[in-house]
Amino acid sequence: MKSYALFLGCTIPARQPNYEISARKSLEKLGIELVDLDNMTCCAPPPLRSIDLKTSLALAAYNICLAEEADLDIVTLCTGCFESLAMTNSLLRDNMKLREEINGILSAVGKEFKGVKEVKHYLQVLVNDVGLTRLKREVLKPLDNLKVAAFSGCHLIRPSKYLKFDDPERPRIYDSLIEVLGAKSIWYRNKLRCCGGLLRGYADDIALAIARDKIVNAVSAGAECIATLCPFCFLTLDLGQMLIKSTYKEEYNLPIIHYAELLSLSLGVDPKELALEIHKIKIDKVLEKIGW
Amino acid sequence: MSTIRFMEEIRRRYGGETIALCYQCGTCTGSCPVSKTSDRYNPREIIRLALLDNRQEVLYGDAIWLCASCYNCQERCPQGVEIAEIIFTLRNLAIREGKIPKLYEEFANNLVASGRLAPISKFLEKKRAEYGLPPMKPVDIEAVNKIFSATGFLELFSRSKGEKS
Amino acid sequence: MEEIKVGVFLSDCGGQLSKILDFNAITSFVKSIPGVTFVAQANEFWRGDGLKIILEAIESRQVNRIVVAESIPKVSEVAIAKAVEEAGLNPHFVEVIDLKDHCAWPHRDSPLEATEKAKAMLLAAIEKVKLMEPIERAEYPAVKSVLVIGGGIAGMQAAEDLAEMGFQVYLIEKEPFLGGLAARANRFFPTDDCAICIQSPSSLKTVANTSRKCVYRSGISELPNLKIYTSSKVVKVEGAPGNYRVAIEQRPRYVEIEKCIACNLCSNTCPVEVPDEYNAKLKTRKAIYITTPLVYPPAYVIDEKACKFHECAKCVEVCPTKAIELDQKPKQVILNVGSIIVATGFKEFDPSVIKEYHYDEYPDVITNLEFARMIDSFGPTNGAIIKPSNREPVKHIVFVQCVGSRDRRWNPYCSSICCMISLKHAIFVKETNPEIDVTICYIDIRTTGREHEYYYERARELGVKFVKGRPAEIIHDPATNKLIVEVEDEILKKFLELEADLVVLATAMVPPEDAKELANILGLEIDSDGFFKEYNAKLRPTETMHRGIYICGGATFPKDAPTASLHAHSAAIKAAKFLMNGKIVKDLKVAVVNEDYCGDCEFCPVTCPYNAISLVPKDNGRLVAKVSDLLCEGCGVCVGTCPVGAIELKHLKNNQILAQIRALLSINGSSKPLVLAICCSECGHAAVDSSGMAMMSYPANVRVLRVPCAGIIQVQHILEAFRAGAQGVMIVGCKPDGCHHGVGAQKAQRKVELAKRLLSEYGVEPERLEMLNLLFIEGDKFAEAAKKMTELVESLEFIKLP
Ligand code: SF4
Ligand code: SF4
Ligand code: SF4
Ligand code: SF4
Repeated sequence: MKSYALFLGCTIPARQPNYEISARKSLEKLGIELVDLDNMTCCAPPPLRSIDLKTSLALAAYNICLAEEADLDIVTLCTGCFESLAMTNSLLRDNMKLREEINGILSAVGKEFKGVKEVKHYLQVLVNDVGLTRLKREVLKPLDNLKVAAFSGCHLIRPSKYLKFDDPERPRIYDSLIEVLGAKSIWYRNKLRCCGGLLRGYADDIALAIARDKIVNAVSAGAECIATLCPFCFLTLDLGQMLIKSTYKEEYNLPIIHYAELLSLSLGVDPKELALEIHKIKIDKVLEKIGW
Repeated sequence: MSTIRFMEEIRRRYGGETIALCYQCGTCTGSCPVSKTSDRYNPREIIRLALLDNRQEVLYGDAIWLCASCYNCQERCPQGVEIAEIIFTLRNLAIREGKIPKLYEEFANNLVASGRLAPISKFLEKKRAEYGLPPMKPVDIEAVNKIFSATGFLELFSRSKGEKS
Repeated sequence: MEEIKVGVFLSDCGGQLSKILDFNAITSFVKSIPGVTFVAQANEFWRGDGLKIILEAIESRQVNRIVVAESIPKVSEVAIAKAVEEAGLNPHFVEVIDLKDHCAWPHRDSPLEATEKAKAMLLAAIEKVKLMEPIERAEYPAVKSVLVIGGGIAGMQAAEDLAEMGFQVYLIEKEPFLGGLAARANRFFPTDDCAICIQSPSSLKTVANTSRKCVYRSGISELPNLKIYTSSKVVKVEGAPGNYRVAIEQRPRYVEIEKCIACNLCSNTCPVEVPDEYNAKLKTRKAIYITTPLVYPPAYVIDEKACKFHECAKCVEVCPTKAIELDQKPKQVILNVGSIIVATGFKEFDPSVIKEYHYDEYPDVITNLEFARMIDSFGPTNGAIIKPSNREPVKHIVFVQCVGSRDRRWNPYCSSICCMISLKHAIFVKETNPEIDVTICYIDIRTTGREHEYYYERARELGVKFVKGRPAEIIHDPATNKLIVEVEDEILKKFLELEADLVVLATAMVPPEDAKELANILGLEIDSDGFFKEYNAKLRPTETMHRGIYICGGATFPKDAPTASLHAHSAAIKAAKFLMNGKIVKDLKVAVVNEDYCGDCEFCPVTCPYNAISLVPKDNGRLVAKVSDLLCEGCGVCVGTCPVGAIELKHLKNNQILAQIRALLSINGSSKPLVLAICCSECGHAAVDSSGMAMMSYPANVRVLRVPCAGIIQVQHILEAFRAGAQGVMIVGCKPDGCHHGVGAQKAQRKVELAKRLLSEYGVEPERLEMLNLLFIEGDKFAEAAKKMTELVESLEFIKLP
């Protein structure tokens, strides 16, 4: 059985039990063991990078060191955490001068980055460790041609130079993981474009306009839901529709569902166990379609 | 006042190295979700202003805080300019001048206090138990703060606060 | 062995030098040197009475080594050597030094020191000629025949020039038809005429009643001494300049060119249809086909990948002249040529890799070359501008510039012709279909050639829209089947979504895929962008490091047709000049290998910039380096590379280098510590000349040793200088990327670094050794550095290496 250090990050435990539960349950069903390590701290996301790039590298490297000491690869759920940790991992592996500098900082807490462990996103575990063939076999409740607007969020694929997850302009992995559940990953305009989530709290008007674009594009392409991988995207698009309603007087009622939730449902996890009440836009239509 | 050109100041910092390669093609702005939505933000223009040493306008303006860090521009720049990293570098410089948006200040406070972006409350812990989720693991606040003092983060942060008041 | 008698001839430049230098002291010093049997002084020695003195000394005093101190050495050397040779002496027994620019002028403020330096310079020259051995002159036969590789515009022009000059020419083309990229381009700028039009051979009166003709009726194929091989490529080259044996492989055409009457019956009958690559896949063609009716040879060809051969053989039956032969096999042809011209051109970059433009996904995103096929009335749509996806007419066209050019991810260079191609196309659209809306998205519009800016002007007047901004993405809306080009209008700072039926990508122009392979076969260099590298971009733009092999046209960089023509004529002239005497005459100033020492390490064969060295087996099976006398340019880079000292130059043997170093440092005469500057004969020595000519002063303790190329320098030469008393050493070479022998300056740099490390180990300050890279016009930098080095070593302890 393959084991991973689960990197939860800050937002998921604080606001999205639906993501955490569905991720844990789906991986458990697929025979992946998750280990919760002590002392994991913030992943050093863009807001910290905005304050100080070197501090972010050090903090991200600190988290990686904890996994190195436990001799475990890391799996993240949030794509933001994935980006921070994977980018740091790649940078410090290749740039020895930078590594030396960061290790100088880490020596203050008795740590040293060695670059011997991988940082993976949940999807990579699914596609590489479980594999599409097995996943297909495990599906108990196929998603019945549900028209899914796949939205990976930016930080799963970009910056591709460091993340090397998938082709940055034509990613396929995520879509194939959706399709293996029996759903249809549809084309919609500007599919790979950002949701604007990181501007929330600083420029809410712009953030909302970007989010609205995303919703409109998905709806006009006939999407029955948007499948997300990042707690920020989820919030921006789910809660965002409430704000769109009050600001633009437009109502879309497009369910936003984490991929982990879709996977859990298709693996036969009872929706009642999934804390689905977190969704501001109710997903009953989707549940119905799948046959729950 | 710094004595070197602003462009040089950026280029010598970690993250800003590629700025001089920019030849103003506009691919970044054309790729930018923010520019598409708002005329308050244009990454090409920020780079141009920086290349022409408009330090004040760039660091004290609102624009550098409007990047959504989506890296779409950086992915496509034909000159390999690391635009998103440059924006971070500019923000780093602005903060060193004491210009820090409230949101980021709160974020930094939380981080210093709890090692997390948002602290986990007792209420949340209870909720977790109800959902059958394992209790949250502790954060080594002391270690996090040691890292912060080794990088100069704490000092930077108190200075920017001090200058503002 | 004959006794060595050195004659020394001191020119005082009409009395100018004797005002500074003490000629009496110099003369008595020189006389005291063993081997010197004659010393003379005059105003000048390189012509007139002065030259007669030298000749008389040879005649009556049996002087057999000549040292001349003259003031304009570069020219006087030639004149004196020539006269000496006529007098029956080996011309390489002459050594000319410059006491004016290298001694009197720069040190005019310290005449006593200058005089002592002059003695040292003369001593070095004398020691050198004493050790000089005769250099023979060799003659090699040269075949008066040329192979031209590539049947595009450049190749055809070069072939025609040479054939008309009387050389036997072989023109080979890898495609089944001549014409290259140009033939597909439809029209050319700035002439707006047909792309397939070339100059008619003037020697063929019958066809020359007009000066220009389409390739197929130009008469080029009728030149009696021009032989054309299509579907052919070079597979092997052996031999040497003037006499190559080239193996070419010709793919079968399956149609006899001499019999085919291009009646099209075969093609009508052929049941196999495949996408027509030549025509941008906008139509299909048969397995037996001809690209357009306007080609040479005007004969059909069978596409091997598509044809069903004997399973079908329908065409064989219908062919009225029995021209089709399905059993043809590839042929090898061996050609004996004296020279080779590479004119392999360039090709369009495949823009699929720029994924955000979706060229590989959206049929309505095409390239400029594909667009050129579309607007050709002989082309796949007979000139109609259509949407390939549904063949409907087009209302909006957007051109996207710099696709894969000026892009550090793909091709960092500007392809230089794409702006003009797009302008040409935009104008054509507007002039033929004014109702079509045309927009060009650009980063910069580059119209640098003659009349090119007028295209830009004309396009604006015709209403072509220009948007400054490089598109970020091309989107296809499946609902409307329209394309949307997302771009920032930088001038208005506005985000645009341009709707288009057709997007034309101005793709980069890149080297053909087989350029590297051909470069390997020919031993040519490829530059960092993948194009064939010329010897010198400014002065020898169509020559290569391999004499006898020339390059022209797009093979060296993307070019427009006028420039490619010009280039082709230049290459033709160079090849003609090389072969016209039917022989190559050469003084053997070359490297020689001491086979007993050579350890077959492969250093020199790899390093020689002229590919002159190969490893050959000896009787005992051991490999030793062998220098081709014909290819060797005598630069000495191999000497600097050989780890065991097994290779040296005939014209500057190691003992001559060492003797000169010792001689130059044997006399000081000044209170300052000695500094040796080892200078390459090219820019390095010239910089020393120029500092003297400009009367810039530097101290006389600085001594100059001239070597052919900085690449000859060995660490041990540097150490020897310190042993002989130098307190500082300067190595003066060309600019690293301007080295006349390619790699010499870079090699020297590495030697300097190595020597610095060694010196540190000996406890010697590494700053005592310095490398300079200078141009002739940088004499001031030499004088400056010489002063600085002197000051530096003055401030340091005196050292003596054991
Ligand atoms: S895409 Fe790159 S080169 Fe173009 S304007 Fe932006 S930063 Fe400059
Ligand atoms: S990283 Fe910032 S500047 Fe670049 S495209 Fe995204 S939001 Fe725009
Ligand atoms: S033999 Fe080949 S070329 Fe001839 S008709 Fe048949 S398929 Fe066509
Ligand atoms: S002297 Fe120069 S050209 Fe001749 S073999 Fe040596 S390296 Fe080659």
